[in-house]
Order: sequence, then C-alpha cells, then structure tokens
Amino acid sequence: MLSFDIVAQILWTSFATSSYFVLFALAFALVLKVNRAFNFAQAAMMTVAFYAAYTCVALWGLPGWVGFAAALAASIILAIVIEVFGFRTLRRRRADQIFVFIFTLIVSEVVAFLAMLVFGTWPSTIFPSLFWPVTLVGNVAVSQWDIPAVGVAVSSVVVLFGFLRFTRTGQFMVAVADNPDLAELYGIAKQRIYLATMLTAAVLVALGMFLYGTRAQVQPTTAIDLMLFAIAATIIGGIGNLWGAALTAVVLGVVQNSSVLFIPSEWQGFLLYLFLFVAIVFLPNGVKLPARRRLTRKTVAPDLVGAGSQES
Amino acid sequence: MMTTRFPTRRALIAAAGFFAGLTITGAMAQETLKFGLAMPLSGGQALYGQDQVKAAEWAVAAINAAGGVNGKKLEMVLLDTRADPQAGIQAANRLVSVEKVPVFVSAWSAVVKAIAPVANDNKVVQLSVGANSADIARLGDYTYTTFPLADVDISAVANHAATKLGKKRAAVLYINNETGVVAAQIYRDVFSKAGGQVVAYEAYDPKASDWTGSLLKVRAANPDIIHIQGLVADTPQVIAQMRQLGLTVPVSSYSAVYNPKLIEQLGKAAEGVIATSLAPGVEDKAVADYVERWRKEVGREPNGLPYTQYLYDAPYIVAAVFKALDDKKLPLTGENFRREMVATKTFDLPLTGRLTINENHTVNKPVFLMEVKNGKWVQLAVVE
Repeated sequence: MLSFDIVAQILWTSFATSSYFVLFALAFALVLKVNRAFNFAQAAMMTVAFYAAYTCVALWGLPGWVGFAAALAASIILAIVIEVFGFRTLRRRRADQIFVFIFTLIVSEVVAFLAMLVFGTWPSTIFPSLFWPVTLVGNVAVSQWDIPAVGVAVSSVVVLFGFLRFTRTGQFMVAVADNPDLAELYGIAKQRIYLATMLTAAVLVALGMFLYGTRAQVQPTTAIDLMLFAIAATIIGGIGNLWGAALTAVVLGVVQNSSVLFIPSEWQGFLLYLFLFVAIVFLPNGVKLPARRRLTRKTVAPDLVGAGSQES
Repeated sequence: MMTTRFPTRRALIAAAGFFAGLTITGAMAQETLKFGLAMPLSGGQALYGQDQVKAAEWAVAAINAAGGVNGKKLEMVLLDTRADPQAGIQAANRLVSVEKVPVFVSAWSAVVKAIAPVANDNKVVQLSVGANSADIARLGDYTYTTFPLADVDISAVANHAATKLGKKRAAVLYINNETGVVAAQIYRDVFSKAGGQVVAYEAYDPKASDWTGSLLKVRAANPDIIHIQGLVADTPQVIAQMRQLGLTVPVSSYSAVYNPKLIEQLGKAAEGVIATSLAPGVEDKAVADYVERWRKEVGREPNGLPYTQYLYDAPYIVAAVFKALDDKKLPLTGENFRREMVATKTFDLPLTGRLTINENHTVNKPVFLMEVKNGKWVQLAVVE
C-alpha cells in the first residue's frame, strides 16, 4: 500500500499540521534558553489565547482578526503576569528550578480549571466549521488551512531569526541566555530582557493556538496535552537550540503520522514517549548536527536535574 | 398606668396544646417520600450534571403537581459528587446514614462503581442513570441501571449496517482507550457475525490531532462503510479529515456524535453520518415539548439531551415503586424497593418510553439510529 501518493500525502499533511507544534516548541525553547525556566505555564497562555479568540469569534460573532487580536492580548497579559508576579519573585528569592517548574505547573492547572468553570468541558473551535475545502495537487489533498498555516510558521521562524540576529533586544536576549550576570555587567537590563522573552513567547503561542483552534477542537486541558510535544521537541532538539526544537517538531510529526504504515496503530502514541526516553537517557544534549557556525551562539543548557540555580 | 398580665396556667396549657396540635398536623402535612440524587454539581462535568439535575427537579415538581405519590410529596435530596469517586462515596454515605433514603440515583461510571459497595452493604438501591460501562451490570444486588449499557447501541449500528444497509466491507477506526477499544471489538464481532468483513481495524492515539496515516490505511482497504468509535472531541475532526482525503463512503458512530454541533462543524461533510441515540428525539411530541421548555426557561437546549431525558424519567420510576409499596402498606426500605422494582419490571416513562429491567441488571430499550440528511438529524430506524 506504500505508494508515492500516500507518502506525499503524509509528508504534506504532517508538515502542515506541525506548523503549530513548531510555534509551541519555539516559544517553550526560547523561554528555557533565555529565562532558564521550564515554563509549563505556557499551557495556561495557550488556553487563555484560545478562549479569548473563541469568545470573540464563536460567542460574540466578531471577525477572525479581532479574535486573533484578543488571543494575542490575552496571551501577552498572562505572560506579563507570570513574569512579573511569578518568575521575578522566584528569581528574587533565588528559588530552585524545581520550584519554578512547580509554580508553572500550578499556573497551567489553575487556568485549565478556571476555563472549565467558565466555558465547560465541551470541545470548541474558534470558527463554527471544522471543515476546510481541499484542492488536489497531483493526488495530494491540500486544504485551505494548510497553506496559511505553513506560511505563518515559516514566517515566524524567519522573523524570530531576524529578531534575535539583528535587533538590539534580540541580541540582548542571546547575551542574557549566554551569561545573565555578564550581560548585566555590560549594562543590559536583565529583568527587561526576561520580560521581552516572555512577550515573544506569548506572540508565538497566540499564533500557534489560533492556528490550532481553527483546525481542531479545544477543551480546557488540551493545551496541557499539547505541551508534551513541545517539551519533547525541545529536549530531543537539544536544550538551548531553538532551531533544533523547531526542526524536531516537524520531524516528530512526520514520523508519528507515517509510523502507522510500518507498526500497529496502537503503538503510534507510544513513539513520542520512546523518543523522549531515548533522548533523555542517551542524548541528554539533544541530537547534535555536524559542527558548523550556528545561527545563535551556543549556550549552556540549564541543569534540569536540580543541581542548583544559576540565577543571580 | 399600664399593667402587664401574665398568662394563667390554663391559658398556657391551652396554648401548648394548640401548638402541639399544629406541629402534629404540620408533620402530617409535611410527610414526604425521600430519595437521593448524587450528581456532579461542580467540577469539570458540572456542565452536564447541572442540566441533568434540572431535568430531575422538573420531574419531581411535575409528579408533586399531579398529586404526588398517593397524596404524599416526593422529595429529592441532592448531593454533589463532582464526578469524583471519593466525593461520590461521601455523598452516598450521607444519603444512606443521614438522609436514610431507600433509593438514590447516580451517574458517571467511576462514581457508580465506587458507590456500589455502600449501596450493597446498606441494602439501599442505587439507580445508575447514564453510566454505560458494561461492568455496571455486575456491581452487586443493589445497583441497577435504567440506561442501556455500552454494547446495546454498538451492536445495533453494526447489525443495521450489515443486514439493512447491505454493507459488506467495514473499516473500524477507534480511539485507543477504554471507550474505543471495547466498543470497537463489539462492532467487529457483531458485523462479522452478521456476514460482513472488517477490512481495516485501526486505533488512534487519544492525544492525536492528525489522522492522515490511519485514514490512508483505511482508504487503501477500500471499505464500503467506516465506523468511528471516538470521543466527541476528536470524531468530528476525523470525519472532516476523512472527507478531505476523498473518503466519501458512509460513516457510522454512536451516541457521542449525535448532537447538532456536528452538522455545524462539518457542513456538507456531515451528510450521511449515522449515529445512535438511546432516547427518542424531537420527533416525539413529549420530547419536543421538553426541549421547547428548555429554550423558554433556560434559553438553550440542554447539554447531552438524551441523558437529561433519562434523568427526567428517573423520579417517575422511584414514584411508581413508592406507590406500589404504599399501596401494599410496606415500609420504604431498600430491600422492599428492590423487590418491588424487580417485580414491576416494566415502566412506561414520559421521555424515554418503555423500560424493562432485567434480572441480570441490564435493561431493554430501543436504539434510535439517526442520520444527517439535508443538514438535519433524522430518524433512520428504530432497533428494538
């Protein structure tokens, strides 16, 4: 049954649906790289972004762009709250990374619970229809959702690259990621850079969740499930390596989808855990590509086992 | 100058007698027949629980407005389970020990299973209304269901596909959890036994958001019907993606997809989708009136309409058994309630029709096969 059409279809659909995973992985990897926080509260940002868009478009009947603006605003506001009232306080107290992680976990659960109370558990989408018309390219079905989604993901990667490479704030983010204390000695306002990183992540999250919510149904706990994929991509791609995380998100999507052609479908979900296990045990620094000049400078991976905070 | 007169002893005795009389008369007038209702009123399932409770409250009010049970009021003691087994046990203990009810209604499989030992130990009847796990029939002498268990509707839809629709090659696509695995096996067995062939049998991960690989495998098997055993969160997306990949064969599923939202979400891609319902739809006048009452009083249709229909009917079962016991002057104990309910066996209920409770703790109910036609759910067949 393995024909060219089937392989092409799987590759294309997996590539298109990995668009939001790329954005989630980038957001997670960026905060981990710069703020050195294992930010599971990203799930909370994803949840508020979705329900803000859902409220505007599905409940109030406002246009899609208003929904996206609301998603962006909600995600940014929550990012500010998490950074200013959460991370900053924990940093001031020199809290261990495990406490920071527990804090983010609690935030994600609280927001999921609140969303449940307000919106219930019935799955929802931003637009009433889930069905996107398709066009056949050769024998490959390309839906009207696919092209904009891929466009948004690719543009986001390019813009983020340019932002980190060419803007002052982006360069400061890379500097803080390398060595926060040294960066501060050079006059970089570290706290502002941490906030800027959270805001950048919030934009990526809002984009990703808007894409996801226009294609799939969302429940208050959906974002928590989606986070596993972002975390897996970040770990396998190499902690501190943004582009590795983004690329891994695409590869994982393709491998998971095509795996049913080779293994029993019951094992499909198991693959992600298998990859995670292999990555954590055998490749703790991620899959290393051949040495070359990197787009962003190499950084020291934060110690996830809890061997002490490197924060000032 | 004003003086204060103290009451005489005779006046005091007369007053005491008057108030005692009032109290006795009041107690007689207030005599009620109590039963319990343990449902999720808070937490993630409250959306459904609260609507089901409202349906039961309407039924109790209707029964009392029509004279109650032999002139006595029916009283429903309501407690919250949060759909959580531990909270369910606490609620059941209170209903049994404090409220001393002979029967209580509960729902959600995990809660019903957790409560069953409390019901058995105290010889108080638990009526499960809505939980559909096949295990519900094996929880002991004092747990009964009024809701058909999982195998009933899946068997009906598989049989109908093979015998009435003449389908020979079915593909089964199921979610890889307890809901999907067991029901998919039932479909495969029943469809094969009815003369059909299951040409593809594919699971998918509960966290999946893309089903391309599984669907392409199904497409390659060239089925003439596809049965999807998923959840309400993923099934519409699976159908949408199936249609996008050019799979135009009929699709069947079960009660989870029988809701108006599916048509809204899929548009023309929903045409021909077959679902099951375990209660009559709005073609039935009583159900139409009931839905209309929701729209007028609450401003919307109830969440999980069929489940609320079953909850509406539950107090009628309780009232019928209470009446039979009252007629026979038997005390309202759990043992008597159980004996009388099993002896009565058949109940004609306002919103779900005839119910027959079997000795093996299962029930006989018709299955309504619904199909999307011209953008609406219409009744395709009734499988007895």
